[in-house]
Amino acid sequence: MKPLAGVRIADFTLHAAGPFCTHILSQLGAECIKVESAARPDIFRKPHPVYGRMGPASFDQVASNKLSVRINLKDARGVALARKLVGASDLVCESFRPGVMERLGLGYAALAALKPSVVMVSVSSSGQSGPDSHFAGYAPLFGAWGALGYLTGYEDGPPVEMRHVMDHSVGMNAAMAAVAAVYRLRRTGRGGHVDVSAREVACSLVGEALLFAAAGGSPTRIGNDHPRMAPHGVFRTRDEDRWLTIAVRSDDEWQALVKLMDAPHLLADPRFQSAASRHEHRRPLHGEIEHWTMTCEAGEAERMLQLAGIAAHVSCNMEDIAHDRHLRARGTVVDVEDTAGHSRAALKAPIRFSRSEVGMSRGTPRLGEDEDYVFGELLGLGREERQSLVDQQVIY
Amino acid sequence: MMEEAVAPLLAGVTVVELSRGVAAGYAGRLLSTLGADTVLIEPPDGNPLRREPPFLPPAGEASALFAFLAAGKKSVICDLETAAGRVGLSVLLVATDVFIHDLSAGERANLEIDEQSLRSRYPNLIDVSVLPFGAVGPKAGWQAEEINLIHASGEGFLLPNGLAAELFPDRPPLKVYGHFAEYQGGVVAALGALSALIGREHGGAESVDVSVQDAALAVGAFALQRFGDGSLEHRRTRSFKYGGVLECADGYVELLTLEERQWRGLVELMGRPAWMLDPALADSLERSRRGAEINRAVRAWAREQQTADIVARAQALGVPMAKYASPAEVLSGAHERARELFQSVKIPGAGSLPVLSAPLHVDAAALRLKAGPPRLGEHQHLLTASRHRDQPRVIAEAS
Repeated sequence: MKPLAGVRIADFTLHAAGPFCTHILSQLGAECIKVESAARPDIFRKPHPVYGRMGPASFDQVASNKLSVRINLKDARGVALARKLVGASDLVCESFRPGVMERLGLGYAALAALKPSVVMVSVSSSGQSGPDSHFAGYAPLFGAWGALGYLTGYEDGPPVEMRHVMDHSVGMNAAMAAVAAVYRLRRTGRGGHVDVSAREVACSLVGEALLFAAAGGSPTRIGNDHPRMAPHGVFRTRDEDRWLTIAVRSDDEWQALVKLMDAPHLLADPRFQSAASRHEHRRPLHGEIEHWTMTCEAGEAERMLQLAGIAAHVSCNMEDIAHDRHLRARGTVVDVEDTAGHSRAALKAPIRFSRSEVGMSRGTPRLGEDEDYVFGELLGLGREERQSLVDQQVIY
Repeated sequence: MMEEAVAPLLAGVTVVELSRGVAAGYAGRLLSTLGADTVLIEPPDGNPLRREPPFLPPAGEASALFAFLAAGKKSVICDLETAAGRVGLSVLLVATDVFIHDLSAGERANLEIDEQSLRSRYPNLIDVSVLPFGAVGPKAGWQAEEINLIHASGEGFLLPNGLAAELFPDRPPLKVYGHFAEYQGGVVAALGALSALIGREHGGAESVDVSVQDAALAVGAFALQRFGDGSLEHRRTRSFKYGGVLECADGYVELLTLEERQWRGLVELMGRPAWMLDPALADSLERSRRGAEINRAVRAWAREQQTADIVARAQALGVPMAKYASPAEVLSGAHERARELFQSVKIPGAGSLPVLSAPLHVDAAALRLKAGPPRLGEHQHLLTASRHRDQPRVIAEAS
């Protein structure tokens, strides 16, 4: 049994952040009913030439494991149908610009009047309130607004764009808050409105730097450096574009590293006698480390460093990840079948329970694939009524 | 819609955190900010993050990282090297819903708080392990810091992209600032704890195993999806074809036009220069092909602009653009103030300072930080109180 079994979601989210939230909740056992329409299909159903995809995606991680129904929200009867779906759900998730759900008659106040126990989760770029709440944004803008982009970068270079990890971080925070709200619902019967702001998620990921700045400090871009540790970085190995990450935390680890490098002269070097001195002289120190790593095969060096108790890992690309024995053994990376019948690597929700199950039981749904169950069984619409709504492009 | 004060989402939930690292610490912090009563167990010399730089000026005594992560928690010292310390932990766990920790399997066995022991002694306790590579699997015992984990999860290899990758194509890949992967681990651990709390109602308590690598990989799912589509993403090739990071006269902005109307807005924003009116550029594929050429012109234009001015004009025209805000700018931002993102709390050794609460509102209000970070052992009395309350049970267990 999955932990969120029995929780039903009316899912109005689109694009990346919101759908990631409901995807994770669905893997944890919630029944997620994705609301779309042929008039406004989600991005994965459309070609994406920038990514070289000239048709719909055969697999879309964040749409997977969801049920799909069509509801045309531009039609008042579609809104009425959506309200009926909300009446049968515990949780409503949406990621429109603030104000859109209200204009549709599906805002929190309207839905709470319909069903006082409803939990609504809204995901937006800047939150539902505040002077910038109407701003449009994408992942790189969230990172820019939230100081995460400003702080990431080489020390002599520009800020760095955050990409999909930013969207999905927002979705993960939203999933966490949604479950907290479901917990209160189960305990007290009380619903509520959770308002997740993407730019605030970016801020939260540098919360300690913002506090340092509030005290008068000046956090800046520091590349791969660490405020205390050295050696600490990403180093070249003997193979092209194959990198090794190393972080040395203590004198013991430093000595173990030098032994592994067979470079006793470093122990005698006055610049490297203490942690503080190694940090001060980290540029020449990193040169020495790279002199050694350049002779190493990355995976073998990773293994030797770990055996010596030193934090090290290869810089993985997605091919490494797809075949990684540890991730496979944990069930984090699994094989799924796409709509064309091909097997491919996908991700199970990143939580292992001792008793409860987690994971995907189906792939990417076809548009409207689950209307018999949702409109027929759950909402009790008769065959003729449904056909009439299809004919009038309400179910569309 | 203002209503009477509503109980926080996690009112009544009790959490004990035995942590050294950022991921477990952030999990406890999130649960605390959502309303759980959270006790941080510390060794006699304090949680190691208390000694992690940078330290808050001017005194330079309090760690910014610890202060952020421990805000709102209570501190109890338990020296787990001693029998008395282990009894102290036991009396706290008796009345606890969620136990978050980042101990290795060996450490847990030595302290007799492995999964089986916990289950038999505290049948209602949800036990959440948060480790770099998780509690099971071939790498379960491996060592890792943030820089290792961001690369073990794939995102490290993909950074930087855009302007930084263009300027420094031969440099090593770059980590995200701070503790990005570890914070993901914290969010996922909080999610796991809460899911188990709900699952406890129908199936009883259980153990939760969270890996920071898994959590950071989860938010990088799109790159694995692209791999399944036949494309191995790389930092030098995944940049947007045009736009992205732009250097202005007084700082940097981000520009991203994915939709036609946004491109048309950009044409207006730049004052309809002749080159942009080329009918061929009305086609998005053609714009992608000529991305480098567009970028040269957009960058030359941007260098003459003031960030505040073009961001305001861009948003008015529906062009997605944002300034790369410095921490100081975020702290003083009108939007952030209106949403009470930062709340003033007392930090021992640093005075009252604004600390980020949580990136969400509940019931139309910011979450309230209950307090600043605790002094070491500030809530030692909890041990005595718990011991009195649970004495019969502790004695029964000991016999």
